[in-house]
Amino acid sequence: MTDIRVPPPEPAVTEVPPAAGTVGLRGAAARWLRRPRSRRELVDRLFAVQSLFALLVVFVVAILASPRRDGEILFLTAGNLGNIVRAVSEIGIIAIGMTFVILLGGIDLSVGAILGLSAVGTATLLVDSGFGIVPAVAVVLVIGALFGAVQGYAVARLGIQSFIVTLAGLQVARGIARIWSGGLGIPIAYGDGPQEAPPAFELLNGSVNGVLPVPAVLFALIGAAAIVVLRTTAFARHVYAIGGNEKAARLSGVPVTRVKVAVFAVAGLLAAVAGVIHAGQLNQGSPNDGAGYELDAIAAVVIGGTSLAGGSGSMGGTLAGALLLGILNNILALNNIDANVQLLIKGLVIVLATALQKLRRGIA
Amino acid sequence: MILVDPGDAPRAAAGTGGPVVVAMTGVAKRFGGVTALDGVTFEVRAGEVHALLGENGAGKSTLINILSGVITDYDGAVTVDGSPVRFAGPAAAQAAGIATIHQELDLVPALSVADNLVLGREPRTRLRTVDRRAAVRTAREHLDLLGADIDPRRPVGSLRVGEQQLVEIAKALALDARVLVMDEPTAALADGEVRRLFATIDGLRRRGVGVVYISHRMEEIEVVADRATVLRNGSVAGVVPAGRMDRRRIIAMMVGERATSLFAPAPTDADGSRGTVREPLLDVTDLVVRPRAPRPGRCEPDGISLTVRAGEIVGLAGLMGAGRTELLETLFGAGPRGRRTGTIRLDGSPYAPRHPRAALRAGVGFVPEDRRRAALVLDHPVGRSIMLTALATVTTAGFVSRKRERSAVQRTITELAIKTSSAATPVGALSGGNQQKVVFARHLLAEPRLLLLDEPTRGVDIGAKAEIYRLLRRLADDGMGILLASSELPELLGVCDRVLVLRGGRTVADLATDGCTGEDILAAAMGGATAGRDER
Repeated sequence: MTDIRVPPPEPAVTEVPPAAGTVGLRGAAARWLRRPRSRRELVDRLFAVQSLFALLVVFVVAILASPRRDGEILFLTAGNLGNIVRAVSEIGIIAIGMTFVILLGGIDLSVGAILGLSAVGTATLLVDSGFGIVPAVAVVLVIGALFGAVQGYAVARLGIQSFIVTLAGLQVARGIARIWSGGLGIPIAYGDGPQEAPPAFELLNGSVNGVLPVPAVLFALIGAAAIVVLRTTAFARHVYAIGGNEKAARLSGVPVTRVKVAVFAVAGLLAAVAGVIHAGQLNQGSPNDGAGYELDAIAAVVIGGTSLAGGSGSMGGTLAGALLLGILNNILALNNIDANVQLLIKGLVIVLATALQKLRRGIA
Repeated sequence: MILVDPGDAPRAAAGTGGPVVVAMTGVAKRFGGVTALDGVTFEVRAGEVHALLGENGAGKSTLINILSGVITDYDGAVTVDGSPVRFAGPAAAQAAGIATIHQELDLVPALSVADNLVLGREPRTRLRTVDRRAAVRTAREHLDLLGADIDPRRPVGSLRVGEQQLVEIAKALALDARVLVMDEPTAALADGEVRRLFATIDGLRRRGVGVVYISHRMEEIEVVADRATVLRNGSVAGVVPAGRMDRRRIIAMMVGERATSLFAPAPTDADGSRGTVREPLLDVTDLVVRPRAPRPGRCEPDGISLTVRAGEIVGLAGLMGAGRTELLETLFGAGPRGRRTGTIRLDGSPYAPRHPRAALRAGVGFVPEDRRRAALVLDHPVGRSIMLTALATVTTAGFVSRKRERSAVQRTITELAIKTSSAATPVGALSGGNQQKVVFARHLLAEPRLLLLDEPTRGVDIGAKAEIYRLLRRLADDGMGILLASSELPELLGVCDRVLVLRGGRTVADLATDGCTGEDILAAAMGGATAGRDER
């Protein structure tokens, strides 16, 4: 039916000069602590940090539900927390790219397959082709970005829905990976001889100061960069505009094709980064690696509050969503919950998170 | 179901109409801290056309949303035939005989016209499948009532906005409503269709249907309404019977103390001419567009010749489907791909934009017809919406400077007097007029030489209209060329220096608005009797 809109508040003040310190992070905090002017504003404010809040809840629940040994909470041990962030990093990095795609109003089903292709590529180039680390990684990343760009071009210029383009891309990437690897996992051995990878590549398996796993550090760096990009660049504005109303964006002079190609290229590139990390962590590259990762990444984005319709959402939400899923996986595993029950619980959490978003519109 | 015998309610010559069907007493509604309605009393009699007037934000929408069951939570009483009612939802209101045609159309684009008309009440065959033939028959009957020549089997999505609106009206008629609420039914209609609609409304009136008629167009109210209730700031400012409808008095009621002069006077040069001394800014000769994939229902340019000089406001008139929108799209690089012949020159150099970005780079701006579908993301903030086109002016190395952006946004909001609580407010929360100003602001920041406007005042209240007209004149005085497509004759005559008339994708007349009348324009547009002087 018709939309009921709150009539605009009477000729309200046109200029609200930003009060001191309402800019930047400190400003955000100040805005948050100020007394809300309406229920809508209050609800908005609560939901702005909803995914962080949910993350906190899951964290506390995990502490309570954690098994103990000699009075020590296993969940909170440094080793376990390290495992969580290590496990989260691949999905997390993919989810960052996926956030751009979903903000654009699209979806990318090919990222898991690109991860597999990249893992195979990394292993093959390092071991069989005798590439150094830098050229090998560079080639893999370029392949991933190009693969994404081609998909983006098909979406933008041929007007095919991204679901279909990337579904096809998924098959193609898996096919290439199988052909390239002969259908087998390629183990990475380290050393100086032929058929051996430079030992420095093992760094991906290590940690900073013996605590922070290297992949988690990469995830954090990429995540921070993505937050900055999404908040401050013209590119991000264009992504939001296209996702919100593509026709309006085009008529407003947004370079729609270019932005779409770039977004899918970024998604492909980040999937390739995750693939390199994957190869490093498992010391091998198998063409079947990363199967189903695209769905976990989508789940992380959705839990993070980004709308599948495009045009609204945040990167911080995605990072929180990825961590939340990681903690959930970890605590279920720590308690030896049956794998099938784990799936069921994860499914329910995703539905619950999405229902919360709907609820917001109801209250506000 | 029409309860009153057709002969029973003669045209409300008595000024009273039949018995009261619906009465609303002391109705009040608040949204959060904002009072939308404050003790409004409103009634509809059988066989009367009751106009509801007021600026955007005066409470008209809220009032009809209560009447049509969309808003269920309010203070005050509503009675139907004297018995108190409280509709649980739109379906309940419909069952009580109150049908509403909303400004935003409620049609399913993928379904055919016939399927839309019988949606939810599909006629069945004996096998319980949908009886398509009966549906098409019903649809044709109701469309004929309106005199609308639309194939019921066409998908609604392939119709133009105006045709869709006719379908929407037909759909409400099919519901046998006793009270029909029309929210700006003519907003998208060309004059020919408006007259047909008025004939239909007259028929409804004779059959005893009460019509609530909402419109911003005073001249329509004068023609069609038996009385008018004027709302201002959520209260009734006055009830005026037919025959006492003095335009200036009603406008004064609507706007309160504000100035009532709608059109800014065109400046006159010392020698009495205006704008004619300058060089042609846009010069189009024999423009013909042949799309690669023909678009059904669209009328592509088929012999357009025109000039727009710097400092000049040129109107673009024509019936619906005359090709006004298509011409503007072509000039903005937003038309279909295909072959194009003829020449377009912008400031003397050849101009053939292949996409909107090219047009914007060349200094051409475009405010499209349907701002919700083609210009705005309703839940994005005002500031971000304003900056979309001119983002590059506040961007360094890809990064947007918040500080420069804020000052540009603030400056524009002040300059155009956009009423918004802050730059962070979602555009969708603004009134139609202010939404339109946001679209204007976006293009003005890009500093175009030529501004293309497609129905820029549709759904815009009278106060904001006047402001937009003044703004256009100011821009023209500063040397901008403006090409303005409009269905409103007073707008064309009051704002423009010249009016070009299109028919079937061709320019058929070029009239100076001095000493030109609405009849001249209409005659040229319809191509009947001899039209304007400059008929080509």
